[in-house]
Formats: sequence, structure tokens, C-alpha cells
Amino acid sequence: MGKIPISLRSAIPKTAKMKKPPLVPAASPSPSEKSCHFPKKKLSELAEKTKLPVSPGTHQQKPLFKSPELDDAKKLFHSVISTTRAPLDLRFHNSFLQSYASISTIDNSISLLHHMVKALPSFTPERSTYHILLSQSCRITASSLSPVHQILNLMVNNGFEPNQVTVDIAVRSLCSVGREDDAVELVKELSLKHSKPDTYTYNFLVKCLCKCKALSTVYNFIDEMRSSFDIKPDLVTYTILIDNVCNSKNLREATRLVGILRECGFKPDCFVYNTIMKGYCVLSRGSEAIEVYKKMKEEGVEPDLVTYNTLIFGLSKSGRVTEAKKYLKIMVESGLFPDAVTYTSLMNGMCRKGDALGALGLLAEMEEKGCSPNSCTYNTLLHGLCKGRLLEKGIELYLVMKEGGMKLETASYATFVRALCREGRVADAYEVFDYAVESKSLADVAAYSTLESTLKWLKKAREQGLAV
Amino acid sequence: MLPHKVKKAVTDNPKKLANLIDLVNLPSTLREFVGQSQISRLGCFMRVWSYIKTNNLQDPNNKNVVNCDEKLKSILLGKPQVDLAELPSLIKLHFPKEPK
Repeated sequence: MGKIPISLRSAIPKTAKMKKPPLVPAASPSPSEKSCHFPKKKLSELAEKTKLPVSPGTHQQKPLFKSPELDDAKKLFHSVISTTRAPLDLRFHNSFLQSYASISTIDNSISLLHHMVKALPSFTPERSTYHILLSQSCRITASSLSPVHQILNLMVNNGFEPNQVTVDIAVRSLCSVGREDDAVELVKELSLKHSKPDTYTYNFLVKCLCKCKALSTVYNFIDEMRSSFDIKPDLVTYTILIDNVCNSKNLREATRLVGILRECGFKPDCFVYNTIMKGYCVLSRGSEAIEVYKKMKEEGVEPDLVTYNTLIFGLSKSGRVTEAKKYLKIMVESGLFPDAVTYTSLMNGMCRKGDALGALGLLAEMEEKGCSPNSCTYNTLLHGLCKGRLLEKGIELYLVMKEGGMKLETASYATFVRALCREGRVADAYEVFDYAVESKSLADVAAYSTLESTLKWLKKAREQGLAV
Repeated sequence: MLPHKVKKAVTDNPKKLANLIDLVNLPSTLREFVGQSQISRLGCFMRVWSYIKTNNLQDPNNKNVVNCDEKLKSILLGKPQVDLAELPSLIKLHFPKEPK
């Protein structure tokens, strides 16, 4: 019922990100390195800008590249450098190269870079320039790493030893096109020859491996990095692993991992506890979730919004609404503000218990307290009202949703259509179908199959005298 | 239980899905109505439904009933009045049955 697990799930990557700052190694990277840490985004933004007609003075072409032909690119470069009065800086050159590399081959991009250096002696490629090419070479779905090596060699020959930024860019680019195996291979190779990955890169790769590989593969990678390069998993790594095993409902392994992280001298933090609690909640094991909460309190870890949201979601899901309400109270008392997720979880629980009207009352209460409901809240309520045979209220709610342009979810759409048909309001059901299609809530096929099978069911029900 | 069932029907039963979206060579009556020689069952339903809406064919006293015009009659078994609830099954008649 509802989409709450997803919104809860989204809390995990966020927490992983939030965690990073305190874990930044004492030796912070030099400013120049920092600035090229995420060159891709900046450059693409820049490239975007160069494509737009800009204010007079900064002369630029509208569409930067029309063809992947090398000769055209060279001509364009010449026309730009001969007509521009403003001095061209590294940023311009980088974005020029980036724009070309994104539509052309690696070999042509390298040639263009050589050509640019030759044509404009004032331009010296920087590390970031090579990183552009590196990122592109990782993004092609080739079966070998040879284009990547080609760029790395080019870098080394020009005096840029691959560093942690290089490793990071290569790994992220490779993983973005599903080349996790290549990323692992490259990380090992670079660790051996040039630079070890930093904790962010390492954890990023672990997370990617968790998503698409067997657990044993992930463990092998971690063991190998530990034994060969002395890179040890940190608390974030363990959180990622625990999240992964919890998602695959393997809570025994999660408990084992908590034991290991304690052995390694880490103290489980709020994020670890939240992750484990989520694991129990998804399995509707409310008692264990409360155990985790108590354990947190014992260990002096202060529960946060996510903790309470998870707990309230889990308790609602396992039908323990009264307790869920109790925790809402505790949460408010401890100075936290319940959000749409909190209220939606609770509404979900109340609807499950058959108290759809109570859930509707909660909607008013949350709005009173300045918390705006989201489309998930409305879908949960619509579903609950229709299940609770409160169709009129459901229709009212639907009209509000329609006015706000909110999307219908599969479950609430189906329940609503069915409730309408049951009451003999087939034309209204057709109208809801139209809205579902129009608002792109569901694929046409899914929306239609639901309508068709509901009408089929209606026919049977009518024959048996069960419906109007 | 219905959403689950539908989900299952769409994901576990590609044949049922194909039956909805595959283009089918149309019999002459239907060909005249839709103005093309091939259409999917879903596409055909959408056409008929939007035809009903644009021509205001729903009975003003009972929206659940469609008063067929001549054109619509020709593809819906010549019925003067059709219940919206039976529309999908009437359209289905023009399409080959799915092999069991």
C-alpha cells in the first residue's frame, strides 16, 4: 500500500552523503585539485551556456558542434579564436573539448586537443583537460580498457601523474555505463601504479557493486583492497553493506556485519541503526524495530527524523497504529518536526485498520501544523477511503488531486476505479482513466488493463447480483 | 487484490500485453471507422472512446450509456445503445482471440 518504502529508501543515500563531511581526511586537497573534483558538471553547465545566445561582447556560436567530423571542429576552433576579442581561458578550452568529445570518438578528440595546442601556443592543457578525455573514454561501452589506458598514458607523458581525482572520475564514469568490472580492474591497477582511491571513490564503488553483483563479489573486492593496498572499509562502507543485505532481507548477515564493525573499533551511529531498523520494518517486524530503537537509546545515539519515520512506518505496516501514534508524540516532544512521510505512514496504518476517516482527520491536522501533504499522502488516503467504502470522500479527494495535477499511483487508481464501478458509476471510472492517461500517472496499457479487468469483474458481479 | 493481479498480468504475461498493443490487420468495417488498415486493440479503444467524447454521444440523462450514431453502430454490432461497461468487450470482438 502506498509508496512509503521508496521514500524511506531515499533516505539512505542522503544519509550517506550527509555523513561525508566529518570523514574528510585531515589533509584536505589543494584548491586546484578541489576545483577539478567535479569538472564534468561545471563544464557541461559551461558548455550549455556557450550554446545559448549570450550577451554582446562575449561572442559565441549557438549550437557548438553540428557534426563529429574532426575537420569541422578544427574550422570552428579557428573561427572562434580569430573572432573572439575576449581572452580565452582554460575553462573555454575545456568546455570546447568537452562538447566535441561528447559527440565524437576518443581518437578524434585527442587529435583535436593536439590541434588546439598547436594552433594556440598560449593554451596548455591542464589535468582537468585530460580528465575530460578520461571521462569520455570510460563512458564508451567498449569491451576493453585500452582507450582508458591510452588517455592515462597521454596524461603521464605530459607530466600529470594520475591522482585520487583521476581515479574518482574514471570509476564514476565507468560505473555510470555499467562497467563495474572494468572499474574494479582499473582501481586495482591504478592503486598499484599510481594512486589509491580515496574513501569516497572506494565507497562509491562498493555501493555500485552491491547494486549489481553478488554479495560474495563485493566481499572479495573488499578483502582484496584490504590485503593488497591496506584500504579498510569504514563506517560508511559498513552502512552500505548493511543496507544492501537488509534490502535482500538477509538480516542475519546484517547482524553479523554489525558485530564485525564493532570488532573493527567502530561505534554504530544513527545511520547504521536506521538502516537496520528499516530492514526490520520492511519485513513488518515491529517488535525488532522497537528493540533497535531501545538499543539506540541505551547506546546514547540520538534518534533523528529518519529513525522515527522508519519506526512509525514499520509499526503502521504491522498494524500497531496505537504504538505508532505514541512514537509520534515522543518524536514531537524531543523537538523533531514530523514531515509528510511521518504522517503518510501513520495514515497508511490507520487506513489498514479501517479508520480512513481518522486518517482524513490527520490530513487536516498536518496541514494545520504547516506540513504540506505530497502526492503519496493523497494516494494513500484515496486508497484507504475507497477500501473503507467512503467513495464520496474519495471523489472529493480525487478532485483536489486533479486540481493540483497530482499523479495517481497504480494501487490507488485501481482501487478507485473499482469502487466507482461497484457503485455503477462507469462513466466516472472512464473519466478517471482519462485523467490517469493524461497526467501520465500510469502507462496507457496499465491504465487500460485495469479498467478492462475491472469492467469484466463488474459484469460477473452484476450477473451474480452483487453490484449495481 | 486487483492492482496486484493487474501488475501480474502485465509483467508475467507478455502475451496478454502483446495482445493489447500489437498492430492487427483490421476487418473492413473497423477499417472504415478508424481510417487506417492496422491498429492495436488499445489504440482502437482509445479511438472509439474519444469519438464518443468528441461527438457527445453519452446519454445526457445517464452518462453510463452511449447513444450510438450510424458510424458507431456499424462497429458495435448495430446496437442503438451501448453500456460503457461493455465497450471493451465489444471492441475485443473485432480482434483475434488470444491463443490459449
